[in-house]
Amino acid sequence: VKARLTELLARALRVAARLLPAPRREWAEAVQAEASLLPAGWPRLDWLAGGLWMVLKEANVVRKVIYWLGIGAVAATAAWAMWLSWRAAQVADAEAVTDRVRILVVATAMLGLPWVARRHGWFGPVASTVPARLTRVWGCAAICGIGIALLRADSHAGGNAIGLKGGFSALHEVAGLVLVAALVAVPLIVRARRPSVDPSTLWSITGVAGVSAWMLLPLQLLAVGYVVAVLFATSRRAPLASTQLVVGMIAGVVMGLIAYGLAGLADQLLPVYLGLLAIITLAVAGTAGALAAWLLPDTAECGELREACIRQGLLAGAVAGAAGALLLTNLSLFLFFTMIIGPPAGLVGGALGGAFAAMHPLKRGPDGARAWGLFVSGS
Amino acid sequence: MQRRAAFSAQTLAVLAALAGQPSAWRHGYDLAQETGLKSGTLYPILVRLADRGAVEARWEEGQPAGRPRRHLYRLTSDGLAAATAARAVAVAGPGSRPAVSRRAAGRAPSARRLAGDGT
Repeated sequence: VKARLTELLARALRVAARLLPAPRREWAEAVQAEASLLPAGWPRLDWLAGGLWMVLKEANVVRKVIYWLGIGAVAATAAWAMWLSWRAAQVADAEAVTDRVRILVVATAMLGLPWVARRHGWFGPVASTVPARLTRVWGCAAICGIGIALLRADSHAGGNAIGLKGGFSALHEVAGLVLVAALVAVPLIVRARRPSVDPSTLWSITGVAGVSAWMLLPLQLLAVGYVVAVLFATSRRAPLASTQLVVGMIAGVVMGLIAYGLAGLADQLLPVYLGLLAIITLAVAGTAGALAAWLLPDTAECGELREACIRQGLLAGAVAGAAGALLLTNLSLFLFFTMIIGPPAGLVGGALGGAFAAMHPLKRGPDGARAWGLFVSGS
Repeated sequence: MQRRAAFSAQTLAVLAALAGQPSAWRHGYDLAQETGLKSGTLYPILVRLADRGAVEARWEEGQPAGRPRRHLYRLTSDGLAAATAARAVAVAGPGSRPAVSRRAAGRAPSARRLAGDGT
């Protein structure tokens, strides 16, 4: 058995070595050459197993497997959702047909965007930090969850999950999709062909295409916007630090749970609930913004520090608003409108929190430690 | 917050083993036996050290009878300087001593030697 296993591992090592870039392959060959000089049995087996592990780590095989499993999970979820939709929804329900198209568009964006922009790294690969990876998985799962909840609601006779009436219009869908494609492709093409073009021109093109697409396909664009935001915020080029992601995500979950706990009010007193929702978002995002700013490492200039605090708060607040809205919509589709108002409200709250933190910096001790009540953080 | 050591205990062990005979070309199994490291730990360390220019590698010259050519390693002058500096940090005292875990240090005799334990 040992001899067979040794042969198997040696063959696996030879095959796996091909995954490495050419200059790295000699290390796998070195392990193989050394293995043949070791005593047969466990020592050789152990040596080859270690070599195989080294090659798999060097070739980032584990990361690639997880990446493809993620892509497979999104594709399988989309396919399963479509199958459920066809089986369960009313055949003539126009809204159900529209929802299928919406979900297909979102799934396509989730799978396609990292591939389309891979050269520039805007949406992929994911940043190599744990918070970024967890946020990406959580965000994609939450968006998939909304799609499934939508189809589930469609499966009830006459059910229209989010209260928007209207028949299916192929013309709207096609025109909207063309505009979304233009939204992504035109700035890239213009920038590639004319590198000296004024950025304001690019923003104008993107803005016009975006507004037009929004008018035609408000919900698709909202969902695609969330996909773009999740992928971009967790990519290697993202301007968000791990601190902002962690603080923003925790605050978003807290916000979502509080708002969902009070959702019973929405049926009876909608204006009161909306007011409460705004206050909760501002308060939680503000706290997140202040925390993210307080966790900022010191910068030299006072003015620079203030700007950095507000920027940290702004980004953490936006993350909190978006994460809270995604969670809330997953818990109750009726609250989908929070996906529109959540991020801007979080942005405002976060900026206020950041500004507050800039005005009230935490006192530092002589050894550079910050006072945190019971806790003291070292520097 | 305490600063982390630039080299792990295992890397220190490899550096110490190579620094023991700076002009000699050593092969992987030889280093593995001296440091007590497995191939899955030893080779990534050698790869990183070679990437940093601390270790140079070459294949054995000629075709030895009855066995394949071995891949050989030794410290460069930069690597020797790094190993010497790491040794100085290790013997300077607890304050500047790299964070070497007891388990790793116990497993790797070269790390103990690098720290001047003498055992």
